[in-house]
Amino acid sequence: MDAFYTSVEQRDDPSLRSKPVAVGGHPERRGVVAAASYEARKFGIRSAMSMARALRLCPDLVIVRPDFERYREVSTQVFAIYRSVTSLVEPLSLDEAYLDVTENEWQEPFATTVAKRLKRLIFEQTRLTVSAGVAPNKFLAKIASDWDKPDGLTIIPTGKVEAFLQKLPVEALWGVGPVTAKSLRAAGVVRLVDVRNVDPQILRNAVGSQAHGLQRLAAGIDDRPVIPNRTIKSSGSEHTYPIDLTDRETIESELDRMARLKAEWLTGNKLLARTVTIKVRYSDFTTVTRSHTAAEPTEKAERIAARAKTLLNKTQAGTRPIRLLGVSLHNLASEEDSVTKLNALKLPI
Amino acid sequence: MKFSVLKSDLLRELQLFQGVVERKNTIPILANLLIEAEDGVDTVRLAATDLEVALLSRCDAKVNQGGAVTLPAKKLNDIVRALPETQIEFSQPTDGTVNVVADRFSSRIQALPREDFPSLPEGTGESVTRLSSEALGEMVSKTQFAITGEDTRYFLNGALFLISDSQMTLVATDGHRLALVTSGRGNGDELEEGAEGHDEARVILPKKTLWELARLVDPRNGLLGDEKTDVLYEQGENHLFFDVNGRQLVSRMVDAQFPAHERVIPQGNNKRVEFERDRLAKAIKRVALLSTERSRAVKFKIDANKVEVSSSSPEVGEASEELSVDYKGAEVAICFNAQYVLDFLNVVDSESVLLEFKDELSQAVLSPVSDDSYDYNYTYVIMPMRV
Repeated sequence: MDAFYTSVEQRDDPSLRSKPVAVGGHPERRGVVAAASYEARKFGIRSAMSMARALRLCPDLVIVRPDFERYREVSTQVFAIYRSVTSLVEPLSLDEAYLDVTENEWQEPFATTVAKRLKRLIFEQTRLTVSAGVAPNKFLAKIASDWDKPDGLTIIPTGKVEAFLQKLPVEALWGVGPVTAKSLRAAGVVRLVDVRNVDPQILRNAVGSQAHGLQRLAAGIDDRPVIPNRTIKSSGSEHTYPIDLTDRETIESELDRMARLKAEWLTGNKLLARTVTIKVRYSDFTTVTRSHTAAEPTEKAERIAARAKTLLNKTQAGTRPIRLLGVSLHNLASEEDSVTKLNALKLPI
Repeated sequence: MKFSVLKSDLLRELQLFQGVVERKNTIPILANLLIEAEDGVDTVRLAATDLEVALLSRCDAKVNQGGAVTLPAKKLNDIVRALPETQIEFSQPTDGTVNVVADRFSSRIQALPREDFPSLPEGTGESVTRLSSEALGEMVSKTQFAITGEDTRYFLNGALFLISDSQMTLVATDGHRLALVTSGRGNGDELEEGAEGHDEARVILPKKTLWELARLVDPRNGLLGDEKTDVLYEQGENHLFFDVNGRQLVSRMVDAQFPAHERVIPQGNNKRVEFERDRLAKAIKRVALLSTERSRAVKFKIDANKVEVSSSSPEVGEASEELSVDYKGAEVAICFNAQYVLDFLNVVDSESVLLEFKDELSQAVLSPVSDDSYDYNYTYVIMPMRV
């Protein structure tokens, strides 16, 4: 889906159309941007950015509180359309999915035709646009779907894979963010295809154990199947910083931001989490994780953020420079489970 | 350093340390057991700690040469357990290793230096309180299951321990149920009037401390000498000391306020039903097999002279069992988590138990119905579940 949450908002409230809109939390309460409309993106606003910063980038930004109930409804509607075409639908989030249409209910021999019909059907039924990528595997399909947005359709036929790979920068690889890309570029790896010929040791230094996987992807090889109904076991965000973080306050506010982003994700997926894990990678690449598991699951941003920050005390944050921070949630429970919990009355302590 | 010990003597002590050593291996020395041998003394001293709890013990030995070293506690336990009943000889050829030799078996184990081992707090021995080990053991076993151990609220990770001049009390809660046991301190050791100055205590014992204490005072473990052995208790500034027949358990004090448990114990419970303990336990176990796995809810439908215990699960089905009781009041229904009720029934040994409650949403109380030969009071407060 294109700018999913904001598109739903703009669809349902005509006064928001063609305005910079961000869905997310309150800027004065350390809210984060969960989604930004294309108009807002022109100002440099991106999801996961703090709302306060977004507002500085675009003072006219219209901030809308998320209405996950409504997004879920639309998502269910869209996924029902996908599933009417193939049972092999692997959701990545409320608004993203892989579809294996090798066999499909429409008996369409060409995946491109399936994609076109799906786009039309979704627009007819929801008035929302999607961008699709058609390719021989998941890795390429994902890149293709991001290639032309909004309302795009990018096709990479088997015979054109090599030509397409040649066009890509090294960042297109999964797991290569700005910092890794920078160190790879310093080693002469600028394009994705350069990864194929780089000294394996240099690659290992930059990306660790992922080196082999990246070389396969760089060759266009990805044999992961599309797995339907995968239950979500955890969700995490992490960020590598262009300059190592040393200031405790900055580190805390970064963790706070990521924790809140994860809390939004929980709400969006009707889930609660018992375990909060933080990940800290120091400048020398040693990485530690610290976890806290509570007896009762929560989806409350305040509590998740507070726990993430408490965990920081068990690291050397502030004394050792940090290049990467991450927050993830595990031991997820559905809201239904927690209703059972609610039925278990509490002592008046 | 060089000494020899009998396998069974050492193994008995080593097993006590397995629960104490740090499991997560964040600091290697905390996984190790400190062994100290002194010339002219025919025991070796043993110690381990995870910085929350420490245990100090000793083992009969023949010491040829004094010295001290630390060895991985788990590995040592595995080795000693696998050996036949014989003398085991420990010696230290170099600083970094220890030879463990027995019979035809010989091994060399990596050691960590004694200097790396944390210094352990020591009691002064000046203000020692004597507590009956038997009573203490009873109290721990009747409360420890109600501790969650994984809550962010610190007080729920331990039990409140209260000592007055003649009584002691242990209270544990996980927020849904609360177990409270009060017992005499035993052994007629009540203080003279006016001398109880240091004798009032109100501390929180961490879960791990309770587990280790339970092990030390359990007569089945054969560590007590005789069953009238007293536990010598001392409260330091930040630590608590329990001496059980020469073995010392040192516990960090939990720095938290325990909730006012007195207020949780309901006063106006006007409905009373007495059950045969064994029959109730068996009925709940059977009926709960068809409860939903998540809630484990069982319903008590109490009517004139009978109680129907029932449960149902939308996926599996339903079950019920009827018990005869002496009850004259109006029909009423109340739901409980089966596990919470069973936890209580499993640790009491009276023939009958009493359920007292007011309505289906307020705290109910379970207690053993016993003759006066028991010298403890056991109150188990349990919150119902919404039907």
